[in-house]
Amino acid sequence: MTTIEAGLDTFPKLVRSNAERRPHKIAIREKDLGIWQAYTWRQYFERARRIALGLAALGFARGDKAAIIGDNRPELYWAVAATQALGGVPVPLYQDSIEKELAYIVDHAEARFAVVEDQEQVDKLLHIRAQCPRLESIVYDDSRGMRAYSDPCLISLAELEERGDKLAVGQPGYFDAELARGSADDVAIICYTSGTTGSPKGTMLTHRNMIVMGRNAIEREGLRHDEEVLAYLPMAWVGDHIFSYAQSVLTGFTVNCPESAATVLHDLKEIGPTYFFAPPRIWENLLTNVMIRVEDAARPKRALVHFFLGVAQALERARLHGRTPSAWRRLLHPLGQALVYGPLRDNLGMRRIRVAYTAGEAIGPEIFVFFRSLGINVKQLYGMTESSALVAIQPNGDVRLDTVGTPLPGVEIRISEQGEVLYRSPGVFVGYFKNTEATRQTLEDGWVRSGDAGFIDAAGHLKIIDRARDVSRLAGGTIFAPKYLENKLKFSPYVKEAVCLGQDRPFVTALVNIDLAAVGNWAERRGIAYTSYTDLSQRAEVYDLIEHEVRRVNASLLDDDVLKGARIRKFLILHKELDPDDEEITRTRKVRRGFIAQKYAALIEALYGDGDRVQVQAQVTYEDGRTGTVRADVKIRDVALRATAAGEASL
Amino acid sequence: MTEILHGLVAPFADIASNPSFFAEVLIGGIAAGLMYSLVALGFVLIFKASGVFNFAQGVMVLFAALTLVGLIERGAPVALALLLTVGVMVLLAFAIERVVLRPLVNQEHIILFMATIGLNFFLEGFGEMLWGANVKRLDVGIPDTSFKIGNVLVNRLELTAALTAAVIVTVLAVFFQKTSIGRALRAVADDHEAALSLGIPLKTIWTVVWSVAGLVAIVAGIMWGAKSGVQFSLSLIALKALPVLILGGFTSVPGAIAGGLIIGVCEKIAEVYWGPLVGGAIENWFAYVLALAFLLFRPQGLFGERIIERV
Amino acid sequence: MNDAGPLLEVEGVSVRFGALMALHQVSLRIERGEILAIIGPNGAGKTTLLNVISGFYHPWEGRIRFAGRDRTRLKPPDVAELGIARTFQNVALFKGMSVLDNIMTGRLLKMRGNVVLDALWWGPAQRQELAHRAAVERIIDFLEIQAIRKTPAGKLPYGLQKRVELARALAAEPQLLLLDEPMAGMNVEEKEDMCRFILDVNGELGTTIALIEHDMGVVMDISDRVVVLDYGRKIADGTPDQVRKDQAVLDAYLGVAHD
Repeated sequence: MTTIEAGLDTFPKLVRSNAERRPHKIAIREKDLGIWQAYTWRQYFERARRIALGLAALGFARGDKAAIIGDNRPELYWAVAATQALGGVPVPLYQDSIEKELAYIVDHAEARFAVVEDQEQVDKLLHIRAQCPRLESIVYDDSRGMRAYSDPCLISLAELEERGDKLAVGQPGYFDAELARGSADDVAIICYTSGTTGSPKGTMLTHRNMIVMGRNAIEREGLRHDEEVLAYLPMAWVGDHIFSYAQSVLTGFTVNCPESAATVLHDLKEIGPTYFFAPPRIWENLLTNVMIRVEDAARPKRALVHFFLGVAQALERARLHGRTPSAWRRLLHPLGQALVYGPLRDNLGMRRIRVAYTAGEAIGPEIFVFFRSLGINVKQLYGMTESSALVAIQPNGDVRLDTVGTPLPGVEIRISEQGEVLYRSPGVFVGYFKNTEATRQTLEDGWVRSGDAGFIDAAGHLKIIDRARDVSRLAGGTIFAPKYLENKLKFSPYVKEAVCLGQDRPFVTALVNIDLAAVGNWAERRGIAYTSYTDLSQRAEVYDLIEHEVRRVNASLLDDDVLKGARIRKFLILHKELDPDDEEITRTRKVRRGFIAQKYAALIEALYGDGDRVQVQAQVTYEDGRTGTVRADVKIRDVALRATAAGEASL
Repeated sequence: MTEILHGLVAPFADIASNPSFFAEVLIGGIAAGLMYSLVALGFVLIFKASGVFNFAQGVMVLFAALTLVGLIERGAPVALALLLTVGVMVLLAFAIERVVLRPLVNQEHIILFMATIGLNFFLEGFGEMLWGANVKRLDVGIPDTSFKIGNVLVNRLELTAALTAAVIVTVLAVFFQKTSIGRALRAVADDHEAALSLGIPLKTIWTVVWSVAGLVAIVAGIMWGAKSGVQFSLSLIALKALPVLILGGFTSVPGAIAGGLIIGVCEKIAEVYWGPLVGGAIENWFAYVLALAFLLFRPQGLFGERIIERV
Repeated sequence: MNDAGPLLEVEGVSVRFGALMALHQVSLRIERGEILAIIGPNGAGKTTLLNVISGFYHPWEGRIRFAGRDRTRLKPPDVAELGIARTFQNVALFKGMSVLDNIMTGRLLKMRGNVVLDALWWGPAQRQELAHRAAVERIIDFLEIQAIRKTPAGKLPYGLQKRVELARALAAEPQLLLLDEPMAGMNVEEKEDMCRFILDVNGELGTTIALIEHDMGVVMDISDRVVVLDYGRKIADGTPDQVRKDQAVLDAYLGVAHD
């Protein structure tokens, strides 16, 4: 494999090397007018060169920034390479950004040039030009609807390339000279990420970052030049830049651009990628699509599919937990393979997948198990823009439900005093553009603060618990992740909301809101009569029901060395539903922790006291706006106590 | 009770005990089924392209066979007679379009259906007037004899008919799905006005469809006539096409084929194995029972287009 | 062909259904390259006018000239052959056929068929089919309906059906495109899309367009000229601004002074 030391130290140089070493290999495809148009590495390089020369003709200088905006199109990837070839920095932006975001980033990045897909993006840029005085030229690829535009700052890509050709006649050595001046530690891209607070930050990554880290992942995952990927996630996302640009250039594999956002699923089927990445949201959509079609099928077929999916999922769960699956399921598997799994995989366009990732956030276990049970090698990946997208990946053959895998080669991970995950790697960014304050807060001695709380388990896998700022400790020092517990509780259909408490307390307690519809239904089926929400919530049977759910959550923590100290010891069921009208939760159903701690202080104290019930008096707002007082006895259930009494060993 | 059970179960034992005889029954069923398919195909073509349920399709089979036999009897060589018959059927298509369909354009389907009933009686009478009413033998040069494959007897005539039907079906399927005329036919079937506004001339389309239906009728007429003689009862096989259409769906070419085969095979097997238990002649009504069952459970037929309506 | 005069002239056309006079001596011109909107209250005779132009009805009196030549008595297929395509008020797609097949059907006039070759799906027929497919793909791209190529037209939501119908009309590469309420029953976003497509068709392909529409905002935004019908008579003809201020139009829309 060629190395940075051998002079292939920037991506455009690697593109040129591909053009020389595998000129006829397909580099990128785009479905246009219903046909997959293919471009070889030679064409890839040639077009990038012409675009670069065109930009040079417009006055592009080293260090200039070029905003790249549009759907995944070969032309835009070429523009990325072209910008880098001139020693400039591409700044990809989300194509659906609203004008305000666009204006902020284009201005902050000091972009002099923009290369965009079509009229839609041109319109947005022309609108915000007053706020971005540095923006000089807008290059557009698709000339549809552009006839009536006469603004002198506009130029079509075709025209740009012609200007480039003219420049090349006058200065034949220009491009090669510029290309040669690039070096590994030049900034290769600035990816803007919108944090939850404040303005977007421009993460600067160098060629070295992505060449070394991209290659480490390639070696670990065994990626080859014959992979096929679908480039359908926004170019502004660092993941697309790594998978659809950096790794493609590094190995020479083929990138496929879908026809339009609406055709992605169909194009996926046509291409049948071997290497695929999707955030949990997309895996979820795929699953929903499949299930809808299954439910539409005739009854015998439906039953068959459900049966074999059940078999496969049981097998996969056993495998993920390291158990030996039952013999008859193993016997049935080949039959299911022929009848259900194979055809389903084919239908999803995932027949050829060798490696697939889910990343970005936690994926629902049932979704993860579903795809793995079909024989699709989907794995969790952990990373962020600041790490060139790559920190940890689940190794082949060692995939678990609740970890994000082991660190990639070259990556070091440690856990801070506060339980935050810190990492150091060759892929770590050089800083935020024009934001030393934020850089200082995030990057220290090469270590990046991830903002996530987590730990390394006994097998060396990284496990992410929660956002670091949501994690605290019990009085005894045990790590306590309330949201993690609450989500596990809310996984039960009977639990509508849950608030877990424990910071600086001796143990964890929970306030639970039951789901009136589900629990009411459950009660009716058992002939349990009730008059109101308050009445139902305090029935002993309902407490038993919820206790069962709490035990389930506690049991799931047992596998976890760090979290098993933070099991729920006591809980109570609230006598009323948490209500946005009472300011207990937000309109988007986020629990207002502080407000609840204050409002239910008496209940909380009781949870940490000795009594088994507590009297409450609460103001409630009725539907018609009147307020009234509810007086009730709320029971407290001690899970650990009852467990001992019942002689259960599990807790 | 046990007797009934025995009656229902015993034939399966028969089937198992003599597989080569069962194969012969099966082949006989397939051959008869293909004949039904051919007739049903004529219906489907016309129904697809013009929304008309052509009651006269059966008589067109008879008329085609009568014309062919009549010409041969009057000394025309088989090839020439066949060519002339094709000409007659195309002429007939032109005439039907001009005299029946064009004046009735944009009328209710039921009115067009009535018109085809009229056509039915006209053709029947006209055929008899031209060629006489007595039973005629049709000899197309393929002997009605059998040969053996392994233990199974195969009839040459039936085999030829089956192959011919298969070829026709393939050609028609390609014609409908792949060619621009096929697309125009489907377009006309779907929406007259829209088709007109795209410059599709209805009269040409209808003439083409009726000509094709006529050609299919010739093939069916030859095959059926060679087997059982050309006589009036030939037009009654049209009635057998009805259950086939219910099974296969009125708008589906593959449906007509599959429907025909299923009916042919099922009624043969029922007749041979279960017939004796009820005193025979199951063959005459079994197809209708099958069709009735289908109407109850899958009204659009096996391959019929799902009825899609948006509100 | 005469390239100078108006593309279509309707001169004193009357249409009657029994005792009902659907159109009464209506005259109007459609100029080359313009977008003409035909508006009017319900029952004003707008669709009848479109049907007369496209040959579905024949006028009781009056003449219709297309590119300077008298075309009064042509039938729909012949009108289509002249280069006039249309869409229908209640979407007339071939519901059982795929979107692609629907649009391909729109190209039938451009195909020089040979029944025999065609039926055999042989050499030239196949090449011709591919060439037409390429043309259709450009339209699919133009109207952004790539995702539904293979979907049966009847399964599509209403707004998309309207778009497919426009695509099918465009496939004939018409000189004059008649759109009967292209935006009826659409939501705001779909209307915006449709407006953009209509303007693009007019601007990029140079197609002359006459459309019937109820949404006044849309009409005033996209048309070069507006003709107003009321009770079968033309009561106004001018630019959107002129028509907006016209007293007769205001009366007609406010329902004043008909008896």
